Amino acid sequence: MGDRPDLDLLQGTLDMLILKVLAREPLHGYAIAQEIGRISRALLQVPQGSLYPALHRLENRGLLSAAWTETDTGRAAKVYRLTRQGRARLEREVADWRRLSEAIQLILQTE
Amino acid sequence: MGWLSRLIRRNRLERELDAELAHHVSEDARRLVAEGAPPGEARRRALARFGGIEPIKEQARDARGTRWIDDLSRDVRHAFRMMRRSPVFTLAAVVSLAIGIGANAAIFSVSDALMMRRLNVTRPDELYFLNRDGYTSPNYRFSFPGYARMQAALPDIPFAAAGSSTRVQLDRENGSELAIGQLVTGNWFENLGVKAAAGRVMTADDAPGLGAQRVAVLSHDFWTREFGADPRAVGSSVRVNGIALTIIGVTAEGFTGLEVGSPVDLWAPVTLQDDLRLRGNASTDDDDDSKPWITRDGVKWLTIVARVPASVPVGSGAARIRGFWQHEIEHDASTIQDAARRDFRLREHVELVAGARGLSDLRERFSEPLVILMITVAAVLLIACANLASLLLARSTARGREFALRLSLGAGRGRVVRQLLAESLTLACLGGAAGIGLAILGGHALLAMASSGTRAIPLDLPVDWRLVGFTAAVTIVTGMLFGLAPAFRASRPSLTDPLKAGGRVVAAERSSGPFGFGKILIAVQVALSFALLVGALLFLRTFDNLVSADTGFDRSAVLIARFDPMLSGVTEAQLPDLYRRLLDRARQIPGVTSAALALTGPATRSARVSAILVDKEPMRVGNESEAREEYATPDFFKSIGAPLLRGRTFSADDDARRPKVAVVNEMFAKHFFGDRDPIGHHLGYGPADVEIVGVVRDVRVDGPKNVVPAMVYYPLAQNPGEYARNLFARVTGPIAPAEAALRGAVLDANRNLAVQEVTTLGDLNERLVSSDRLISRLTGIFGLLAVGVACLGLYGTVAYSVVRRTNEIGVRMALGATRGGVGWLVLRETLALVIAGGVLGVVIVWPLLTYLSSLLYGVSPHDPIALSAAAAGLVAAGALAGAIPAWRASRVDPLTALRAD
Repeated sequence: MGDRPDLDLLQGTLDMLILKVLAREPLHGYAIAQEIGRISRALLQVPQGSLYPALHRLENRGLLSAAWTETDTGRAAKVYRLTRQGRARLEREVADWRRLSEAIQLILQTE
Repeated sequence: MGWLSRLIRRNRLERELDAELAHHVSEDARRLVAEGAPPGEARRRALARFGGIEPIKEQARDARGTRWIDDLSRDVRHAFRMMRRSPVFTLAAVVSLAIGIGANAAIFSVSDALMMRRLNVTRPDELYFLNRDGYTSPNYRFSFPGYARMQAALPDIPFAAAGSSTRVQLDRENGSELAIGQLVTGNWFENLGVKAAAGRVMTADDAPGLGAQRVAVLSHDFWTREFGADPRAVGSSVRVNGIALTIIGVTAEGFTGLEVGSPVDLWAPVTLQDDLRLRGNASTDDDDDSKPWITRDGVKWLTIVARVPASVPVGSGAARIRGFWQHEIEHDASTIQDAARRDFRLREHVELVAGARGLSDLRERFSEPLVILMITVAAVLLIACANLASLLLARSTARGREFALRLSLGAGRGRVVRQLLAESLTLACLGGAAGIGLAILGGHALLAMASSGTRAIPLDLPVDWRLVGFTAAVTIVTGMLFGLAPAFRASRPSLTDPLKAGGRVVAAERSSGPFGFGKILIAVQVALSFALLVGALLFLRTFDNLVSADTGFDRSAVLIARFDPMLSGVTEAQLPDLYRRLLDRARQIPGVTSAALALTGPATRSARVSAILVDKEPMRVGNESEAREEYATPDFFKSIGAPLLRGRTFSADDDARRPKVAVVNEMFAKHFFGDRDPIGHHLGYGPADVEIVGVVRDVRVDGPKNVVPAMVYYPLAQNPGEYARNLFARVTGPIAPAEAALRGAVLDANRNLAVQEVTTLGDLNERLVSSDRLISRLTGIFGLLAVGVACLGLYGTVAYSVVRRTNEIGVRMALGATRGGVGWLVLRETLALVIAGGVLGVVIVWPLLTYLSSLLYGVSPHDPIALSAAAAGLVAAGALAGAIPAWRASRVDPLTALRAD
């Protein structure tokens, strides 16, 4: 109940990670989780399941589209891909982060 | 509508979500197996890494955006389950809400129909009525020649005109009946844009001039009611006031004329005014109103409607109309010799009055009563709200364990609030749905009660989107109002207390706790019902004073039969014979001691006013010159019980061959003669040639609330052209048989006389105060209802607190408290609440009461009797409500109480 603020912080980051991972190629949920785990190394300790609400939310907002396809293991999986809107959002978020981190960099250097 | 399709696909989405999550876990487990873990162990670890499946599914559903619909349907289903569990509470809640919401909706529907609804004509916003402004009251009357001149002068603005709607007599195979007729100019329907439902409407060709086509148009309602909507009625002939008219058509449904609350049954061309002998409601200056009115410039009787089309700016249209009449008025005034009267005439200027909502004298009569009733029903609804809030509060405390459990299982606080709100809104919606039904019944009951006649006020009260919208809005606000406080209260209980103790602990009543807030709610209910009770008692006393006030005539023992010989085609020559027969037949009725005929009679809402001069004095200006006229047979004063003060009344000798005489009332004597004795003086119209022979006591002809006008009584025998329309019979003994006999006597005297009604003067007098009767009855009903609801709430809250405090009471008893002491403890608490509420009520109501002054009669707004009676009534009702729980508390067995739970 008391974990709302953390979640908010996490949500933003998680959303960006998902968009970033899917920018390269369409993937199903488990593969996305694997990718995120690889990229963020152990920095982002989230239960893997919390990925799914985020995926559904992004899909609902039209940033992702999803389709059920057969995977290489021969089982049906829901594969997500970035929409044009999602790509634009990712670019904007990345740009925002760049600006922010540059600003933080500057602040740290002025010491 | 994305969420809608997602909602419909909900089951599929649920399955997909399951499959997707299962896929993740099995993929993870497969990988772990590949890394060397045993399958069972791999699956367990995969699940652990995944996190709690159910919360994640919940969050995923949230993300989907249909969550609120899912929740809503679940909440509503839950609400219905809770209702089934306590049917008595649910029934009481729904009934009290239905009454509260229904009463508000009923008053709304009547006010909407009376005050707001626009006429059922083409582009009603273009319509304007012409008002002769500058006098003390609005004057919508114009002469036909004046109307015709204006139309000729302003050809680009279409005008139409109509006489006021009056009673007409229809002779059909199965007898004579009265209907409401209206004379209109030929272009009336065309100008208003009213089409025909059958046949055709009148056109300008139907009224080319005097002696025009004898045609009539029926209203759709009348056609349906009296002709069974028979298409063959069109083209048939109907006898109206003795002459045959051809029915040429029926107006479109929903059009009943321009006067709200007084629908027209039948229209005929203005050119038939003289043929139809319709002579009601005209003001005549220096003209002969026995000639056909459409030729007379001095007979003003037509209401003019202007359609100012969008192409003509309203301002310039109004200016041109005003300019035309300014010219007419100046021309007219130039012929008046007397300077004061000329100035008075020049005060007039013609203004446009918006006509989209029609005209109505009901509006003025009922605007104040409707405001009072609106406040009353709003207070009743507030009481019902407070009552439900306090009951729900008690219940939500009782359900503390349920909520604590749900909260500790991870339900959000918002979720619990929403669920409780859904419960109260579901209750409110059930109440609102039943309320609409009550509103329909109540609206019509209101119209029946408000009527000053025998029939309900004929207003259409449709169930339209306005009524439904209003009811829905009231319902939702109500549901929020009584649901919010208990919901917030319940959503933050201490999580552990209720679970741990389950009420076993003797908890001290927290002042900020539910009972503290509950107490405030009870006090508010008591205060509001006290205010309503005081109001109801004041109106009751007012009405009582009004009906028992001295009116100057005998009310209980005088019968009046009303008819109109002019409408049944009786000629002037036949009148003396008719009068003789009417009086003879009436006097033969057992118990009738005297009988008389009169033109208007007291309390009938009909009157004739004329400008009168006395002796050789010049005519006074405006209203100052006016007096009411009455024409009567010699026994009139004796029959109605108006005592003669000086001189003599008429006798049978005062006939056409003798000098003209008149009797005046006290007001006339005072107004025209001051302290002088009027007897022997003269009054009249040109030369004052009528000798005043007597003075009678003032009779309150317009009802107890209105001042007595100056009145002149003339003998019918000296005025052979006057048609008496009322037969009075003074009765000793039982009234009812005489009433039936009087109706028979009228028909016996002339088969063709349609009797409008036979009743007592007391009944007529009571109808003059019908709006006071309406206020008095309804505030009385709602006042009692409010006290009842407040007492139920009081009872519920106190009873609940007794149950809650069973342990405490047990402890007290174990420590030596007597049964009486315990009972008194509870009763004292109840009475303290009632008194606190009552004091609050006095504080609220005291300054507001002053505003009631104008509606009261013979009673002060701070009437000590009303105030103390209301207080006593409340305390008695409160004691009754508290007695049962107090008695139950005194019956508590300490052993059981301490062992309980």
